[in-house]
Amino acid sequence: MDVYLPVAGMSMNIFLLVGLGAMVGFMSGLFGVGGGFIMTPLMMMAGIPPAVAAASDSNQIVAGAASGAYAHWRLRNVDIKMGLVLLIGGLVGGTIGVQLVKLLRELGNIEFVMKALYVLMLSTIGGAMFWESLQTLRRSRRQAATPPRETKHRVSIWSRLPLQMTFAQSNLRTSAIFPFIIAMFVGLLAAILGVGGGFIMVPAMIYVIGMPTIVAVGTDLFQIVITTANVTLQQAVANHTVDLLLAMLLLIGSTVGAQFGARVGRRLRGEQIRILLAIIVLVFAVKFVFDLLLQPDNLIAVAGGHGGGH
Amino acid sequence: MKAPSPSTLLAAAVLFVTSSAGASPETQPATASVTEVVTSTTKQDVEIGLMYNGDYIYFFGSVPEPGADVIVKLTSTDDTPITVNRKGKVGLFWMNVKQFSVTGLPLVYKLHSTRPIAQIVDPALAAELGIGYDVLKQRMQLKLERGSAESDDRDMVFDGVLRLKKEANLYNVDEKRIEVTGGKIFKHYFRFPPAAKEGTYTAESYIIKDGKLIARGIDMIKIQKSGVEAAFTNLAQKHSVLYGIFCVVIALGMGLLVGVIFKKGGGH
Repeated sequence: MDVYLPVAGMSMNIFLLVGLGAMVGFMSGLFGVGGGFIMTPLMMMAGIPPAVAAASDSNQIVAGAASGAYAHWRLRNVDIKMGLVLLIGGLVGGTIGVQLVKLLRELGNIEFVMKALYVLMLSTIGGAMFWESLQTLRRSRRQAATPPRETKHRVSIWSRLPLQMTFAQSNLRTSAIFPFIIAMFVGLLAAILGVGGGFIMVPAMIYVIGMPTIVAVGTDLFQIVITTANVTLQQAVANHTVDLLLAMLLLIGSTVGAQFGARVGRRLRGEQIRILLAIIVLVFAVKFVFDLLLQPDNLIAVAGGHGGGH
Repeated sequence: MKAPSPSTLLAAAVLFVTSSAGASPETQPATASVTEVVTSTTKQDVEIGLMYNGDYIYFFGSVPEPGADVIVKLTSTDDTPITVNRKGKVGLFWMNVKQFSVTGLPLVYKLHSTRPIAQIVDPALAAELGIGYDVLKQRMQLKLERGSAESDDRDMVFDGVLRLKKEANLYNVDEKRIEVTGGKIFKHYFRFPPAAKEGTYTAESYIIKDGKLIARGIDMIKIQKSGVEAAFTNLAQKHSVLYGIFCVVIALGMGLLVGVIFKKGGGH
Protein backbone atom coordinates (compact mmCIF):
# COMPACT_ATOMS: atom_id res chain seq x y z
CA MET A 1 0.00 0.00 0.00
CA ASP A 2 1.55 3.27 -1.10
CA VAL A 3 1.22 6.74 0.32
CA TYR A 4 2.25 10.01 -1.32
CA LEU A 5 4.58 12.16 0.79
CA PRO A 6 3.67 15.80 0.17
CA VAL A 7 6.97 17.52 0.94
CA ALA A 8 9.26 14.76 -0.33
CA GLY A 9 7.16 14.67 -3.50
CA MET A 10 7.15 10.90 -3.95
CA SER A 11 5.14 7.84 -3.11
CA MET A 12 6.33 5.10 -0.79
CA ASN A 13 5.12 1.90 0.81
CA ILE A 14 3.46 2.49 4.20
CA PHE A 15 4.67 -0.74 5.80
CA LEU A 16 8.23 -0.13 4.74
CA LEU A 17 8.18 3.25 6.48
CA VAL A 18 6.52 2.01 9.67
CA GLY A 19 8.90 -0.96 9.77
CA LEU A 20 11.95 1.29 9.37
CA GLY A 21 10.64 3.44 12.20
CA ALA A 22 10.10 0.46 14.49
CA MET A 23 13.59 -0.85 13.93
CA VAL A 24 15.30 2.45 14.58
CA GLY A 25 12.97 3.23 17.52
CA PHE A 26 13.91 -0.03 19.18
CA MET A 27 17.57 0.89 18.99
CA SER A 28 16.81 4.37 20.23
CA GLY A 29 15.13 3.03 23.36
CA LEU A 30 17.82 0.46 23.96
CA PHE A 31 20.92 2.59 23.46
CA GLY A 32 19.64 6.09 24.07
CA VAL A 33 20.77 7.23 20.66
CA GLY A 34 18.46 9.14 18.37
CA GLY A 35 19.18 6.78 15.51
CA GLY A 36 19.64 9.67 13.08
CA PHE A 37 22.92 8.30 11.85
CA ILE A 38 21.18 5.09 10.77
CA MET A 39 17.75 6.33 9.76
CA THR A 40 18.84 9.13 7.45
CA PRO A 41 21.11 6.93 5.28
CA LEU A 42 18.35 4.27 5.14
CA MET A 43 15.80 6.82 3.94
CA MET A 44 18.24 8.14 1.37
CA MET A 45 18.72 4.61 0.08
CA ALA A 46 14.93 4.41 -0.32
CA GLY A 47 15.14 7.42 -2.62
CA ILE A 48 14.00 10.24 -0.34
CA PRO A 49 15.89 13.48 -1.05
CA PRO A 50 18.70 13.85 1.54
CA ALA A 51 17.52 17.23 2.85
CA VAL A 52 13.98 15.96 3.41
CA ALA A 53 15.26 12.71 4.92
CA ALA A 54 17.44 14.52 7.47
CA ALA A 55 14.79 17.07 8.47
CA SER A 56 11.90 14.61 8.70
CA ASP A 57 14.10 12.26 10.66
CA SER A 58 14.69 14.98 13.25
CA ASN A 59 10.95 15.41 13.56
CA GLN A 60 10.45 11.68 14.00
CA ILE A 61 13.20 11.43 16.60
CA VAL A 62 11.35 13.97 18.78
CA ALA A 63 8.61 11.40 19.25
CA GLY A 64 10.81 8.34 19.63
CA ALA A 65 13.05 10.11 22.12
CA ALA A 66 10.10 11.56 24.07
CA SER A 67 8.63 8.11 24.40
CA GLY A 68 11.99 6.61 25.42
CA ALA A 69 12.82 9.49 27.77
CA TYR A 70 9.46 9.08 29.47
CA ALA A 71 10.09 5.37 30.00
CA HIS A 72 13.54 6.06 31.43
CA TRP A 73 12.26 8.90 33.56
CA ARG A 74 9.80 6.56 35.23
CA LEU A 75 12.65 4.17 35.90
CA ARG A 76 14.62 7.09 37.45
CA ASN A 77 17.29 6.98 34.80
CA VAL A 78 17.19 10.66 33.85
CA ASP A 79 19.59 13.11 35.47
CA ILE A 80 17.74 16.30 34.63
CA LYS A 81 20.39 18.56 36.14
CA MET A 82 23.15 16.94 34.11
CA GLY A 83 20.86 16.95 31.07
CA LEU A 84 20.42 20.71 31.27
CA VAL A 85 24.14 21.37 31.62
CA LEU A 86 24.81 19.13 28.62
CA LEU A 87 22.02 20.80 26.70
CA ILE A 88 23.51 24.27 27.11
CA GLY A 89 26.94 23.00 26.11
CA GLY A 90 25.45 21.21 23.12
CA LEU A 91 23.59 24.30 21.93
CA VAL A 92 26.75 26.44 22.10
CA GLY A 93 28.78 23.79 20.27
CA GLY A 94 26.04 23.26 17.71
CA THR A 95 25.84 26.95 16.88
CA ILE A 96 29.60 27.09 16.27
CA GLY A 97 29.33 23.86 14.27
CA VAL A 98 26.64 25.24 11.94
CA GLN A 99 28.93 28.15 11.08
CA LEU A 100 31.77 25.72 10.43
CA VAL A 101 29.52 23.72 8.11
CA LYS A 102 28.75 26.89 6.17
CA LEU A 103 32.46 27.55 5.77
CA LEU A 104 33.22 23.96 4.74
CA ARG A 105 30.40 24.01 2.20
CA GLU A 106 31.82 27.10 0.58
CA LEU A 107 35.16 25.35 0.29
CA GLY A 108 33.42 22.40 -1.39
CA ASN A 109 33.37 18.70 -0.69
CA ILE A 110 31.53 18.89 2.62
CA GLU A 111 30.19 15.44 1.78
CA PHE A 112 33.68 13.98 1.77
CA VAL A 113 34.64 15.75 4.99
CA MET A 114 31.46 14.40 6.60
CA LYS A 115 32.10 10.84 5.55
CA ALA A 116 35.77 10.92 6.52
CA LEU A 117 34.82 12.34 9.93
CA TYR A 118 32.18 9.63 10.28
CA VAL A 119 34.76 6.94 9.63
CA LEU A 120 37.20 8.44 12.14
CA MET A 121 34.59 8.99 14.84
CA LEU A 122 32.70 5.76 14.41
CA SER A 123 35.73 3.51 14.25
CA THR A 124 37.39 5.16 17.26
CA ILE A 125 34.28 5.13 19.42
CA GLY A 126 33.10 1.73 18.22
CA GLY A 127 36.52 0.17 18.61
CA ALA A 128 37.10 1.57 22.09
CA MET A 129 33.65 0.58 23.31
CA PHE A 130 33.90 -2.86 21.84
CA TRP A 131 37.28 -3.50 23.48
CA GLU A 132 36.25 -2.13 26.86
CA SER A 133 32.95 -4.03 26.99
CA LEU A 134 34.64 -7.23 25.94
CA GLN A 135 37.16 -6.86 28.78
CA THR A 136 34.38 -6.17 31.28
CA LEU A 137 32.37 -9.13 30.06
CA ARG A 138 35.37 -11.44 30.38
CA ARG A 139 36.24 -10.13 33.81
CA SER A 140 32.74 -10.49 35.17
CA ARG A 141 32.55 -14.00 33.79
CA ARG A 142 35.75 -14.95 35.58
CA GLN A 143 34.74 -13.52 38.93
CA ALA A 144 31.00 -13.78 38.86
CA ALA A 145 30.59 -12.70 42.46
CA THR A 146 32.22 -9.27 42.08
CA PRO A 147 29.65 -6.50 41.63
CA PRO A 148 30.11 -4.58 38.36
CA ARG A 149 32.16 -1.46 38.91
CA GLU A 150 30.77 1.75 37.52
CA THR A 151 34.00 3.67 37.73
CA LYS A 152 34.21 7.40 38.23
CA HIS A 153 36.89 8.48 35.81
CA ARG A 154 39.27 11.38 36.17
CA VAL A 155 37.07 13.64 38.25
CA SER A 156 39.88 14.82 40.51
CA ILE A 157 41.18 17.71 38.37
CA TRP A 158 37.69 18.98 37.83
CA SER A 159 36.79 18.84 41.49
CA ARG A 160 38.96 21.92 42.11
CA LEU A 161 37.31 24.10 39.45
CA PRO A 162 34.48 26.49 40.34
CA LEU A 163 30.78 25.78 39.78
CA GLN A 164 30.83 22.55 41.73
CA MET A 165 27.59 20.64 41.44
CA THR A 166 26.21 17.41 42.77
CA PHE A 167 24.55 15.23 40.19
CA ALA A 168 22.57 12.90 42.41
CA GLN A 169 21.20 10.57 39.74
CA SER A 170 24.63 10.12 38.20
CA ASN A 171 26.25 9.74 41.61
CA LEU A 172 28.82 12.43 40.72
CA ARG A 173 30.16 15.61 42.19
CA THR A 174 32.12 17.71 39.77
CA SER A 175 32.47 21.14 38.20
CA ALA A 176 29.68 22.02 35.76
CA ILE A 177 32.36 23.34 33.40
CA PHE A 178 33.50 19.78 32.72
CA PRO A 179 30.30 18.29 31.22
CA PHE A 180 29.66 21.65 29.55
CA ILE A 181 32.92 21.45 27.59
CA ILE A 182 32.33 17.83 26.64
CA ALA A 183 28.81 18.64 25.45
CA MET A 184 30.08 21.62 23.47
CA PHE A 185 32.58 19.45 21.67
CA VAL A 186 29.95 16.81 20.91
CA GLY A 187 27.50 19.47 19.74
CA LEU A 188 30.14 20.80 17.37
CA LEU A 189 30.76 17.38 15.85
CA ALA A 190 27.05 16.59 15.71
CA ALA A 191 26.35 19.74 13.72
CA ILE A 192 29.10 18.96 11.22
CA LEU A 193 27.87 15.41 10.80
CA GLY A 194 24.23 16.49 10.68
CA VAL A 195 23.04 14.13 13.38
CA GLY A 196 21.69 14.38 16.91
CA GLY A 197 24.95 13.12 18.32
CA GLY A 198 23.61 10.51 20.73
CA PHE A 199 26.08 7.95 19.47
CA ILE A 200 28.95 10.24 20.45
CA MET A 201 27.33 11.69 23.55
CA VAL A 202 26.45 8.43 25.25
CA PRO A 203 30.00 7.02 25.14
CA ALA A 204 31.32 10.44 26.20
CA MET A 205 28.98 10.47 29.20
CA ILE A 206 29.98 6.95 30.20
CA TYR A 207 33.71 7.04 29.59
CA VAL A 208 34.68 10.69 29.96
CA ILE A 209 32.20 12.11 32.45
CA GLY A 210 31.84 8.80 34.26
CA MET A 211 28.06 8.43 34.45
CA PRO A 212 26.43 5.00 34.93
CA THR A 213 25.44 3.54 31.53
CA ILE A 214 21.71 3.44 32.11
CA VAL A 215 21.59 7.03 33.45
CA ALA A 216 23.67 8.19 30.48
CA VAL A 217 21.11 6.62 28.14
CA GLY A 218 18.10 8.16 29.92
CA THR A 219 19.71 11.58 30.24
CA ASP A 220 20.76 11.61 26.61
CA LEU A 221 17.20 10.82 25.47
CA PHE A 222 15.94 13.74 27.54
CA GLN A 223 18.46 15.99 25.87
CA ILE A 224 17.67 14.66 22.39
CA VAL A 225 13.99 15.56 22.74
CA ILE A 226 14.89 19.21 23.16
CA THR A 227 17.63 19.44 20.53
CA THR A 228 15.66 17.63 17.81
CA ALA A 229 12.57 19.73 18.51
CA ASN A 230 14.75 22.78 17.90
CA VAL A 231 16.20 21.32 14.68
CA THR A 232 12.73 20.38 13.37
CA LEU A 233 11.51 23.91 13.86
CA GLN A 234 14.61 25.44 12.26
CA GLN A 235 14.41 23.11 9.25
CA ALA A 236 10.69 23.76 8.77
CA VAL A 237 11.22 27.50 8.78
CA ALA A 238 14.52 27.78 6.90
CA ASN A 239 14.37 24.95 4.37
CA HIS A 240 10.75 23.71 4.17
CA THR A 241 12.07 20.17 4.26
CA VAL A 242 10.05 18.60 7.10
CA ASP A 243 7.58 16.06 5.71
CA LEU A 244 5.10 15.55 8.52
CA LEU A 245 3.38 12.62 6.83
CA LEU A 246 6.69 10.84 6.42
CA ALA A 247 7.67 11.66 9.99
CA MET A 248 4.30 10.45 11.33
CA LEU A 249 4.57 7.07 9.64
CA LEU A 250 8.10 6.64 10.90
CA LEU A 251 7.18 7.72 14.40
CA ILE A 252 4.24 5.33 14.64
CA GLY A 253 6.86 2.63 14.31
CA SER A 254 9.56 4.32 16.35
CA THR A 255 7.49 5.24 19.43
CA VAL A 256 6.36 1.66 19.84
CA GLY A 257 9.85 0.37 19.06
CA ALA A 258 11.40 2.69 21.66
CA GLN A 259 9.22 1.25 24.41
CA PHE A 260 10.34 -2.27 23.63
CA GLY A 261 13.91 -1.06 23.39
CA ALA A 262 13.80 0.49 26.87
CA ARG A 263 12.33 -2.75 28.27
CA VAL A 264 14.96 -4.96 26.71
CA GLY A 265 17.56 -2.47 27.94
CA ARG A 266 16.49 -3.09 31.53
CA ARG A 267 17.16 -6.80 31.21
CA LEU A 268 20.65 -6.32 29.81
CA ARG A 269 23.75 -5.33 31.74
CA GLY A 270 25.59 -2.13 30.91
CA GLU A 271 28.46 -3.84 29.12
CA GLN A 272 26.06 -5.93 27.05
CA ILE A 273 24.30 -2.81 25.81
CA ARG A 274 27.66 -1.21 25.10
CA ILE A 275 29.00 -4.11 23.08
CA LEU A 276 25.86 -4.20 20.93
CA LEU A 277 26.08 -0.47 20.27
CA ALA A 278 29.78 -0.86 19.50
CA ILE A 279 29.05 -3.50 16.86
CA ILE A 280 26.42 -1.36 15.14
CA VAL A 281 28.70 1.66 15.19
CA LEU A 282 31.53 -0.38 13.65
CA VAL A 283 29.27 -1.75 10.90
CA PHE A 284 28.43 1.79 9.87
CA ALA A 285 32.08 2.81 9.97
CA VAL A 286 32.87 0.00 7.53
CA LYS A 287 30.00 1.07 5.29
CA PHE A 288 31.38 4.59 5.05
CA VAL A 289 34.87 3.32 4.29
CA PHE A 290 33.43 1.43 1.33
CA ASP A 291 31.54 4.55 0.24
CA LEU A 292 34.79 6.44 0.07
CA LEU A 293 36.86 3.75 -1.61
CA LEU A 294 34.56 2.12 -4.16
CA GLN A 295 33.81 3.68 -7.48
CA PRO A 296 30.26 5.02 -7.41
CA ASP A 297 27.80 3.47 -9.82
CA ASN A 298 26.98 6.80 -11.42
CA LEU A 299 29.67 9.48 -11.30
CA ILE A 300 27.04 12.12 -11.82
CA ALA A 301 24.67 12.90 -8.97
CA VAL A 302 22.01 15.54 -8.65
CA ALA A 303 22.65 17.60 -5.55
CA GLY A 304 19.27 17.59 -3.84
CA GLY A 305 20.49 20.15 -1.34
CA HIS A 306 22.35 17.51 0.62
CA GLY A 307 22.15 18.13 4.35
CA GLY A 308 20.44 21.43 3.51
CA GLY A 309 21.38 23.37 6.60
CA HIS A 310 21.40 21.14 9.62
CA MET B 1 -7.74 21.08 -29.49
CA LYS B 2 -9.23 20.84 -26.04
CA ALA B 3 -12.01 18.31 -25.93
CA PRO B 4 -14.17 18.11 -22.79
CA SER B 5 -12.33 16.08 -20.23
CA PRO B 6 -13.58 12.60 -19.37
CA SER B 7 -14.52 11.00 -22.63
CA THR B 8 -14.61 7.30 -23.24
CA LEU B 9 -12.51 5.62 -25.83
CA LEU B 10 -15.54 4.92 -27.99
CA ALA B 11 -16.89 8.43 -27.85
CA ALA B 12 -13.46 9.78 -28.55
CA ALA B 13 -13.02 7.47 -31.48
CA VAL B 14 -16.31 8.56 -33.04
CA LEU B 15 -15.44 12.19 -32.46
CA PHE B 16 -12.12 11.83 -34.17
CA VAL B 17 -13.37 9.96 -37.18
CA THR B 18 -15.86 12.71 -37.84
CA SER B 19 -13.55 15.55 -37.07
CA SER B 20 -10.70 14.17 -39.09
CA ALA B 21 -13.08 13.71 -41.99
CA GLY B 22 -14.09 17.33 -41.59
CA ALA B 23 -10.52 18.44 -41.44
CA SER B 24 -9.39 16.53 -44.46
CA PRO B 25 -9.66 18.97 -47.35
CA GLU B 26 -6.43 20.65 -46.38
CA THR B 27 -3.20 18.91 -46.98
CA GLN B 28 -1.60 18.26 -50.28
CA PRO B 29 0.84 20.89 -49.39
CA ALA B 30 3.07 22.53 -51.84
CA THR B 31 4.39 24.63 -48.97
CA ALA B 32 3.86 22.10 -46.18
CA SER B 33 1.21 24.13 -44.41
CA VAL B 34 0.72 22.73 -40.94
CA THR B 35 -2.80 22.20 -39.71
CA GLU B 36 -4.12 21.49 -36.29
CA VAL B 37 -4.85 17.92 -35.44
CA VAL B 38 -7.70 17.07 -33.13
CA THR B 39 -6.55 15.29 -30.01
CA SER B 40 -7.99 14.39 -26.65
CA THR B 41 -7.14 12.73 -23.38
CA THR B 42 -8.92 10.65 -20.78
CA LYS B 43 -8.21 13.36 -18.25
CA GLN B 44 -6.68 16.78 -18.08
CA ASP B 45 -6.40 17.18 -14.36
CA VAL B 46 -4.52 14.81 -12.14
CA GLU B 47 -4.97 15.14 -8.43
CA ILE B 48 -2.23 14.11 -6.06
CA GLY B 49 -4.09 12.58 -3.13
CA LEU B 50 -2.86 10.44 -0.24
CA MET B 51 -2.62 7.34 -2.39
CA TYR B 52 -1.13 8.97 -5.48
CA ASN B 53 1.31 6.66 -7.17
CA GLY B 54 1.61 8.26 -10.54
CA ASP B 55 -1.10 7.96 -13.18
CA TYR B 56 -1.87 6.62 -16.64
CA ILE B 57 -3.44 8.93 -19.14
CA TYR B 58 -4.66 7.88 -22.55
CA PHE B 59 -4.17 10.20 -25.49
CA PHE B 60 -6.14 10.04 -28.72
CA GLY B 61 -5.84 11.89 -31.96
CA SER B 62 -6.78 11.88 -35.58
CA VAL B 63 -4.39 11.19 -38.43
CA PRO B 64 -5.45 13.41 -41.33
CA GLU B 65 -3.69 11.40 -44.01
CA PRO B 66 -3.34 7.65 -44.23
CA GLY B 67 0.18 6.42 -43.98
CA ALA B 68 1.38 9.37 -41.91
CA ASP B 69 3.51 8.80 -38.83
CA VAL B 70 2.85 10.10 -35.38
CA ILE B 71 5.29 11.34 -32.75
CA VAL B 72 4.02 12.55 -29.41
CA LYS B 73 6.28 14.47 -27.06
CA LEU B 74 5.39 14.83 -23.39
CA THR B 75 7.30 17.48 -21.47
CA SER B 76 6.88 19.42 -18.30
CA THR B 77 6.97 23.18 -18.27
CA ASP B 78 9.05 22.75 -15.15
CA ASP B 79 12.67 23.12 -16.20
CA THR B 80 14.13 24.40 -12.95
CA PRO B 81 17.92 24.40 -13.03
CA ILE B 82 19.49 21.46 -11.28
CA THR B 83 22.80 21.26 -9.49
CA VAL B 84 24.91 18.31 -10.49
CA ASN B 85 28.08 16.95 -8.92
CA ARG B 86 30.71 14.98 -10.75
CA LYS B 87 32.74 12.53 -8.72
CA GLY B 88 36.35 11.74 -9.39
CA LYS B 89 39.14 9.85 -7.75
CA VAL B 90 41.49 11.82 -5.54
CA GLY B 91 44.21 9.57 -4.18
CA LEU B 92 42.39 6.56 -2.79
CA PHE B 93 39.06 8.25 -2.37
CA TRP B 94 36.07 9.16 -4.49
CA MET B 95 34.88 12.67 -3.93
CA ASN B 96 32.98 15.43 -5.68
CA VAL B 97 35.53 17.10 -7.89
CA LYS B 98 33.27 19.55 -9.66
CA GLN B 99 29.83 21.00 -9.66
CA PHE B 100 27.65 22.20 -12.50
CA SER B 101 24.48 24.14 -12.77
CA VAL B 102 22.38 22.57 -15.52
CA THR B 103 19.56 24.41 -17.29
CA GLY B 104 17.34 23.60 -20.22
CA LEU B 105 16.38 20.08 -19.22
CA PRO B 106 12.69 19.54 -18.47
CA LEU B 107 11.66 17.53 -15.40
CA VAL B 108 9.82 15.07 -17.64
CA TYR B 109 10.56 14.14 -21.25
CA LYS B 110 8.85 11.26 -23.03
CA LEU B 111 8.53 10.40 -26.69
CA HIS B 112 6.14 7.95 -28.27
CA SER B 113 6.05 7.20 -31.97
CA THR B 114 4.73 4.82 -34.58
CA ARG B 115 8.19 3.64 -35.67
CA PRO B 116 11.84 4.51 -35.10
CA ILE B 117 12.10 8.28 -34.97
CA ALA B 118 15.18 8.40 -37.18
CA GLN B 119 13.08 6.93 -39.98
CA ILE B 120 10.32 9.52 -39.54
CA VAL B 121 12.15 12.84 -39.27
CA ASP B 122 15.51 14.13 -40.39
CA PRO B 123 17.81 15.75 -37.85
CA ALA B 124 16.87 19.27 -38.93
CA LEU B 125 13.15 18.76 -38.30
CA ALA B 126 13.90 16.85 -35.10
CA ALA B 127 15.92 19.80 -33.84
CA GLU B 128 13.16 22.22 -34.79
CA LEU B 129 10.50 20.22 -32.97
CA GLY B 130 12.72 19.27 -30.02
CA ILE B 131 12.51 15.57 -30.66
CA GLY B 132 15.14 13.17 -29.32
CA TYR B 133 17.78 13.04 -26.62
CA ASP B 134 20.37 14.52 -29.01
CA VAL B 135 18.31 17.66 -29.30
CA LEU B 136 17.93 17.83 -25.53
CA LYS B 137 21.66 17.50 -25.18
CA GLN B 138 22.17 20.42 -27.55
CA ARG B 139 19.71 22.51 -25.58
CA MET B 140 21.30 21.68 -22.25
CA GLN B 141 23.30 24.53 -20.83
CA LEU B 142 26.13 23.73 -18.53
CA LYS B 143 27.75 26.14 -16.15
CA LEU B 144 30.78 25.03 -14.22
CA GLU B 145 30.34 26.16 -10.63
CA ARG B 146 33.37 24.51 -9.12
CA GLY B 147 36.41 22.57 -10.30
CA SER B 148 38.17 22.69 -13.62
CA ALA B 149 36.62 22.11 -17.02
CA GLU B 150 37.32 18.97 -19.05
CA SER B 151 36.42 18.15 -22.61
CA ASP B 152 34.09 15.30 -21.66
CA ASP B 153 32.09 17.29 -19.11
CA ARG B 154 29.10 17.72 -21.37
CA ASP B 155 28.88 14.04 -22.28
CA MET B 156 29.44 12.90 -18.71
CA VAL B 157 26.81 15.20 -17.24
CA PHE B 158 24.19 14.54 -19.89
CA ASP B 159 24.65 10.78 -19.81
CA GLY B 160 24.64 10.70 -16.01
CA VAL B 161 21.53 12.83 -15.69
CA LEU B 162 19.80 10.90 -18.47
CA ARG B 163 20.44 7.68 -16.60
CA LEU B 164 18.99 9.09 -13.38
CA LYS B 165 15.96 10.39 -15.27
CA LYS B 166 15.39 7.05 -16.97
CA GLU B 167 15.67 5.22 -13.66
CA ALA B 168 12.95 7.44 -12.22
CA ASN B 169 10.87 6.88 -15.38
CA LEU B 170 10.88 10.62 -15.96
CA TYR B 171 12.49 10.24 -19.38
CA ASN B 172 11.83 7.56 -21.91
CA VAL B 173 11.53 6.98 -25.62
CA ASP B 174 9.24 4.28 -26.93
CA GLU B 175 9.31 4.03 -30.69
CA LYS B 176 6.59 1.42 -31.07
CA ARG B 177 4.03 2.65 -28.59
CA ILE B 178 1.64 4.36 -30.96
CA GLU B 179 -0.69 2.39 -33.15
CA VAL B 180 -2.83 3.97 -35.81
CA THR B 181 -6.21 2.28 -36.04
CA GLY B 182 -7.68 2.08 -39.51
CA GLY B 183 -5.14 4.64 -40.68
CA LYS B 184 -7.17 7.37 -38.99
CA ILE B 185 -6.97 7.33 -35.23
CA PHE B 186 -3.99 6.97 -32.99
CA LYS B 187 -4.10 6.16 -29.32
CA HIS B 188 -1.56 5.45 -26.61
CA TYR B 189 -1.01 6.19 -22.97
CA PHE B 190 1.66 7.98 -21.00
CA ARG B 191 2.65 6.77 -17.59
CA PHE B 192 3.11 9.71 -15.24
CA PRO B 193 5.58 8.38 -12.66
CA PRO B 194 5.16 9.23 -8.95
CA ALA B 195 8.13 11.55 -9.34
CA ALA B 196 6.11 13.69 -11.78
CA LYS B 197 5.46 16.63 -9.52
CA GLU B 198 2.81 19.33 -9.55
CA GLY B 199 2.82 21.47 -12.60
CA THR B 200 1.68 21.75 -16.17
CA TYR B 201 2.61 19.12 -18.71
CA THR B 202 2.17 19.36 -22.45
CA ALA B 203 1.71 16.50 -24.88
CA GLU B 204 2.51 17.69 -28.38
CA SER B 205 1.38 15.45 -31.22
CA TYR B 206 3.19 15.72 -34.54
CA ILE B 207 1.81 14.11 -37.67
CA ILE B 208 4.58 13.61 -40.17
CA LYS B 209 4.51 12.32 -43.71
CA ASP B 210 7.43 11.98 -46.06
CA GLY B 211 9.64 13.78 -43.60
CA LYS B 212 7.34 16.81 -43.46
CA LEU B 213 5.22 18.02 -40.59
CA ILE B 214 1.64 18.10 -41.80
CA ALA B 215 -0.32 18.60 -38.61
CA ARG B 216 0.18 19.14 -34.91
CA GLY B 217 -1.85 19.33 -31.74
CA ILE B 218 -1.36 20.13 -28.09
CA ASP B 219 -2.91 18.75 -24.93
CA MET B 220 -2.28 20.19 -21.50
CA ILE B 221 -2.27 18.10 -18.37
CA LYS B 222 -2.29 19.72 -15.00
CA ILE B 223 -1.06 17.88 -11.93
CA GLN B 224 -1.88 19.34 -8.57
CA LYS B 225 -2.19 18.29 -4.97
CA SER B 226 -5.59 17.95 -3.35
CA GLY B 227 -7.05 17.44 0.12
CA VAL B 228 -4.61 16.58 2.88
CA GLU B 229 -1.64 16.73 0.50
CA ALA B 230 -2.49 20.25 -0.58
CA ALA B 231 -3.12 21.33 3.01
CA PHE B 232 0.23 20.00 4.24
CA THR B 233 2.15 21.55 1.38
CA ASN B 234 0.42 24.86 1.72
CA LEU B 235 1.04 24.99 5.46
CA ALA B 236 4.68 23.94 5.07
CA GLN B 237 5.38 26.57 2.42
CA LYS B 238 3.31 29.52 3.57
CA HIS B 239 3.04 29.19 7.33
CA SER B 240 6.31 27.49 8.06
CA VAL B 241 6.65 28.58 11.70
CA LEU B 242 3.18 27.32 12.51
CA TYR B 243 3.89 24.14 10.57
CA GLY B 244 7.17 23.57 12.42
CA ILE B 245 5.50 23.99 15.81
CA PHE B 246 2.67 21.72 14.68
CA CYS B 247 5.19 19.03 13.69
CA VAL B 248 6.99 19.22 17.03
CA VAL B 249 3.78 19.19 19.08
CA ILE B 250 2.39 16.19 17.21
CA ALA B 251 5.65 14.29 17.67
CA LEU B 252 5.85 15.13 21.39
CA GLY B 253 2.20 14.23 21.87
CA MET B 254 2.53 10.91 20.11
CA GLY B 255 5.71 10.02 21.96
CA LEU B 256 4.20 10.74 25.37
CA LEU B 257 0.91 9.09 24.45
CA VAL B 258 2.67 5.87 23.56
CA GLY B 259 4.69 6.17 26.76
CA VAL B 260 1.53 6.45 28.85
CA ILE B 261 -0.22 3.62 27.00
CA PHE B 262 2.71 1.32 27.63
CA LYS B 263 2.87 2.31 31.27
CA LYS B 264 -0.76 1.34 31.78
CA GLY B 265 -0.54 -1.82 29.73
CA GLY B 266 2.74 -3.08 31.09
CA GLY B 267 2.62 -2.64 34.88
CA HIS B 268 6.06 -2.31 36.41
